[in-house]
Amino acid sequence: MLKIEHLKKHYDNFSLDCSLEVRPGCVTGLIGQNGAGKSTSFKAVLGLISSDSGSITILGKDLREFTPKDRENLGVVLSDSGFSGYLTVKDILPILKNLYKNFDASFFAEQLRRFRLPPDKKIKDFSTGMKAKLKILVAVSHHAKLLILDEPTAGLDVIARDELLELLREFMEQDEERSILISSHISSDLESLCDDIYMIHDGSMILHEDTDVLLSDYALLKVDEDQFAKLDKQFVLRSKKESYGYRCLTDQKQYYMENYPKIVIERGTIDEVITMMIRGQK
Amino acid sequence: MMKGLLIKDFKLMKGQKNFFFLVVLVSIGMPAFSGDATFMLGFLPFVLSMFTLSTISYDEFDNGNAFLFTLPVSRTGYAVEKYILALLLGGGAWVFATLLAVAFAVIKGTANISEILMAAVLILPVLIVIQALMIPFQLKFGSEKGRLALIGAFGLLAVIGVVAVKAAEMLGIDLWELIGNLPAMGMGVMITLLLLAAILVLLTSMKISCSIMKGKEF
Repeated sequence: MLKIEHLKKHYDNFSLDCSLEVRPGCVTGLIGQNGAGKSTSFKAVLGLISSDSGSITILGKDLREFTPKDRENLGVVLSDSGFSGYLTVKDILPILKNLYKNFDASFFAEQLRRFRLPPDKKIKDFSTGMKAKLKILVAVSHHAKLLILDEPTAGLDVIARDELLELLREFMEQDEERSILISSHISSDLESLCDDIYMIHDGSMILHEDTDVLLSDYALLKVDEDQFAKLDKQFVLRSKKESYGYRCLTDQKQYYMENYPKIVIERGTIDEVITMMIRGQK
Repeated sequence: MMKGLLIKDFKLMKGQKNFFFLVVLVSIGMPAFSGDATFMLGFLPFVLSMFTLSTISYDEFDNGNAFLFTLPVSRTGYAVEKYILALLLGGGAWVFATLLAVAFAVIKGTANISEILMAAVLILPVLIVIQALMIPFQLKFGSEKGRLALIGAFGLLAVIGVVAVKAAEMLGIDLWELIGNLPAMGMGVMITLLLLAAILVLLTSMKISCSIMKGKEF
């Protein structure tokens, strides 16, 4: 669906080198801190900014050959941009109908009611949650094959986030060839939705793993100085000095559970993994 | 795609409908008081076509362009649409104003109808050239800087004009005599030439606008 190979973009104080792949039928997450390069990668994929080098293949076409017509197969949410706030939902309806051949007006109307979005209110007067819901609704209402969602849940409360994730799950259920690339800095969103997750830091990918593996095989080992000295470190990805000794990140939980029954082993949440990958020592 | 964009722009302009009606009222009211029906011929098309520029500002506001170009909208299509909008607004207003001016002339019995039509036809190339100048500036520099750049451009044109006149004087060419001889060419030929030149300027401007949009990053 989407393949990015060594996409490079250089700014004065930031360099991006991004490679990732979104497979058919999969939801791929991109997680990273603010300023890690998520939005830059998205904008390059969408052709909004030029890239210095590397290749992008999207829906089987090189990005340079990807036409506006092909974009009817994409659904996009950008964190910092959307329809003009001076328009109302009623205004954007005929715009969408004329831009997308496959625009599903009855689905759109049904979802407006479900999310209680007012048709006559200017978008700029919407709450943060309403704006976010409208953006996603616009992205899923024309039978797109690939959704590219940059921080679609930013600034939302738990309930609103849950409703949006539900909408995305429904989107995926309708057609098993559909895919989603979604970025977030809220790991729990990605944990429940994504099949695989990429972590980006300072413009480069530091980790790519299936979500299942991430949750089952990654773990935190909490050891004192003595245990740390004796620990077999071949499966330790990162370690960090703590008051009690060391905290170590591994992707082979089973190995340490079997061989070191006395050390404390905690399940690795995505947040823990990110923190360790970024702040721990190799 | 064009239709979708045009709908968007008309929906955006809906927010300025009060200003829109005010402009129309002023251009109808002015001749009613002054008796000069030709005023609205220039005023109405010029001001209404300015709405095109305001839709460009609306698109840019809050980084809206970034999202716009993730929709099935091409960059050249976007630029061309602004010209179509300007021609629809300016052209529509021009036809409306001409009919209105003629109606005034008939009711009041003041001006000569053929004079009004002549004025209307002469205004057309000016109107086209103004559009051709304003749109690329607005696209390139945005609303704030675009206005400054435009003032600068008109200033530059004025300077070039003055320099050209001075140069002609120094070379001993009498411009007034040249202009005085123009009617010999025939008014019809002159207007046709002017219109063709204006359209050429417009097409060049459109080409420039397309390449401005292609080079933009959002």
